[in-house]
Amino acid sequence: MKMKKKLWNIFGPVLLAGLLVFIAFFVANQFTTVNKATEKRAAVSLSTNVYKGSIVKSQALKDGYVPFFGSSELSRMDPFHPSALAKKYHRNYQPFLLGNPGTQSLSHLIQMQGMKQQLKNKKVVFIISPQWFTKQGQSPQAYSLYNSPIGTTQWLLHAHDSQMTRYTAKRILAMNENSNSGAAHRALINLASGKKVTKTQLMQLNVEATMLNSEDKLFSSFVSGKREAKIDGNQNKLPKQDNFKMLTKSANQMAAKATDDNPFGISNNFFNHRLAKGNKLAKLQGSQSHFNYLQSPEYADFELVLAQFAKWNVDPIFVITPVNQKWMKYTGLSNDMYQKADQKIKYQLNSQGFNHVVDLSKDGGKKYFMEDTIHLGWNGWLAMDQKVSPFLQTKQNQPTYQIQDKFLSKEWQQAE
Amino acid sequence: MINLQPYESPGYFGLIIGLLLPIIIGLFYGKRLVIYETIFSLTFLVLTFGGKDWHQGLALIGYVLFELIVIFAYSKYRLKRNRTSVFIIAVLLAIAPLIVVKMTPLFTIKSSLIGFLGISYLTFKSVQMVMEMRDGAIKEFEPILFVRFLLFFPTISSGPIDRFRRFKTDYVNAPERDKYVTMIGKAVKYLFLGFLYKFILGYFFGKVLLPVLAHESLAQRAAFFHTGLSWPLIEYMYTYSMYLFFDFAGYSLFAIAISYLMGIESPLNFNQPFKSHNVKDFWNRWHMSLSFWFRDYVFMRLTFFLMKHKIFKNRIHVSQVAYLANFLIMGFWHGVTWYYILYGAFHAVAIIINDIWLRFKKKHQVPSNRWTKGLAIFITFNVVCFSFLIFSGFLNTLWFK
Repeated sequence: MKMKKKLWNIFGPVLLAGLLVFIAFFVANQFTTVNKATEKRAAVSLSTNVYKGSIVKSQALKDGYVPFFGSSELSRMDPFHPSALAKKYHRNYQPFLLGNPGTQSLSHLIQMQGMKQQLKNKKVVFIISPQWFTKQGQSPQAYSLYNSPIGTTQWLLHAHDSQMTRYTAKRILAMNENSNSGAAHRALINLASGKKVTKTQLMQLNVEATMLNSEDKLFSSFVSGKREAKIDGNQNKLPKQDNFKMLTKSANQMAAKATDDNPFGISNNFFNHRLAKGNKLAKLQGSQSHFNYLQSPEYADFELVLAQFAKWNVDPIFVITPVNQKWMKYTGLSNDMYQKADQKIKYQLNSQGFNHVVDLSKDGGKKYFMEDTIHLGWNGWLAMDQKVSPFLQTKQNQPTYQIQDKFLSKEWQQAE
Repeated sequence: MINLQPYESPGYFGLIIGLLLPIIIGLFYGKRLVIYETIFSLTFLVLTFGGKDWHQGLALIGYVLFELIVIFAYSKYRLKRNRTSVFIIAVLLAIAPLIVVKMTPLFTIKSSLIGFLGISYLTFKSVQMVMEMRDGAIKEFEPILFVRFLLFFPTISSGPIDRFRRFKTDYVNAPERDKYVTMIGKAVKYLFLGFLYKFILGYFFGKVLLPVLAHESLAQRAAFFHTGLSWPLIEYMYTYSMYLFFDFAGYSLFAIAISYLMGIESPLNFNQPFKSHNVKDFWNRWHMSLSFWFRDYVFMRLTFFLMKHKIFKNRIHVSQVAYLANFLIMGFWHGVTWYYILYGAFHAVAIIINDIWLRFKKKHQVPSNRWTKGLAIFITFNVVCFSFLIFSGFLNTLWFK
């Protein structure tokens, strides 16, 4: 009798814990929708959980949000940021921001698998930074920071052997050197060498997917409202009417005040915090003359994104960002190289039928165009809005794409 | 072929508990199911060292055979004679495979062919055999029991480091039912505490916070006269320390829990180390099975040697030299990189300063109240966290890569 009680004292709590986990997952699976307030917060939060997850972004897309893929520029939330403009003027689209410093083509490709159904036949905005196209391309460190396990499992569950699939698997494997265990890793190895994902692996991946989805449902609704508050706080700084002339006027006024203590037209805040410390500024002078964005594995990773868009019949508009011209001169970054990279990206887009391209690469010298060194701000955001807003607000013709595997090749990645 | 890394996935825990059930029921009824346990242990060894890691399995088999020969030969020799030179040769032979594995990275980026997961922990177990035979504490060499001890799989990859004589007592007797039930109770508690430590806290510090802080610190390389000293780096230091503790303490709890379920009381590895009030106290609470091993087999022996041969006149110098050697060897054991060695040297210096302070305290009137105790804990914590920043190797990335 005493022994029974002893055993019960040991195993009772374990059974209870098991029961609680079961209930938590059961309850989680009842949350099939995300409430509107969460969507609103998530759309501008730039939260990594939302980026890696699935339920919040797919629900938001279902409710009419338009994904804005990008990287660090998305966090430059002055009053003219796309999210601020769309909100203020009650546009018939609202941006859903997806991207952080370090997210590039490959991480986007994987995270978008989590909203596959909602992306099909939709318009999207894709902001390309030529700075992605370095010799290394996507850094494994940043990739692991934004790695979406849900996206990876979804991609694996639906992968069929092809050039694209093999190349994608190889690239993911190259990113995840450390986590070399589990069904996902083994499935990637199979796909990379042209083999199929085995039945056992599929079963394990399905179990994993269920767990990940429950986890996503349980936790990804906790989104910070800090950035939403920032956007809201800026709303009354915008003119009452959605008028380009008036917007430009107030952008000029605000930017003049915000950039007045340095010769580069960089926001004072950024300049003082990131550049003016120590001898950082002096060290940066002439330091970028050897930068080269022409040869990069990123060109092939970018091709994977294009192929995915084509397959899902997505209609994207691409924005290519410039560099602050004064900054460019100071650091010695070659404009000639930058323009060639821009041409190369555009060639890759146009020759496969992606015709909506907003090329801002030559506008880095325009007044109050850049918020800092390489990120759009004030007039830059407005210039982008001039093209992106009509594209999103009017009906577009059905796009037709001709995807070419040659853009995956080493030759193309290395082409000058 | 499947390959399962110890204590990594829910699947591993499910499998191990499931397969342990017969052993648990057997022990509950006072019986050790030796044959089943052998098959069970072999299964898990194959799962850990099989599949894509098969070459590690081969290395492990080779290692065990090699150590068997060395220890067997020494045990035969020791029955007749007891020369110091032969003893030293036996110790060197016993640690030779580990030295080769640890030195390999200096010459090539490939890992050593004779290396495998846990080689350093197995070496501790082998060397203590030689040392205890020298002392006459172990007289007869029992190869089968030794192999069981060496390959006791719950602790094979990263300890805790057990002692042969202790292990043997547990192993040849099944525990009393009352005692065994208490052990099961502890095992369950340790397992769940381990889940909290490794998969929640360790994960949070190591996988959620740490990459972000690494990213931010690397962005500030130029800070503070190009030393990279920045707020994110300081946050990195504390976060890494938390990660190191929770990850390793969590792992140790799993290893101990599984040992307990098998009726073996493997020694504890951590005892609230961040509550230490000085560095010496810290080493009595942090990675205890390792630091006690070093205390017994390196520090004490070296101290006796230095005293016996009167190499230093001053007793204080004897202990200082012994500390230095002790911690430098521990540093080398972690790996032949500047940061592991510096980590060892740093702790040696810290413990020497600590000793000087303790002697000063004895002679002079120093106030002691709850504030000074709090201050002592605070200082120790920061010294330790700084040593972990060195240990992390992050400074190597920050400065040289």
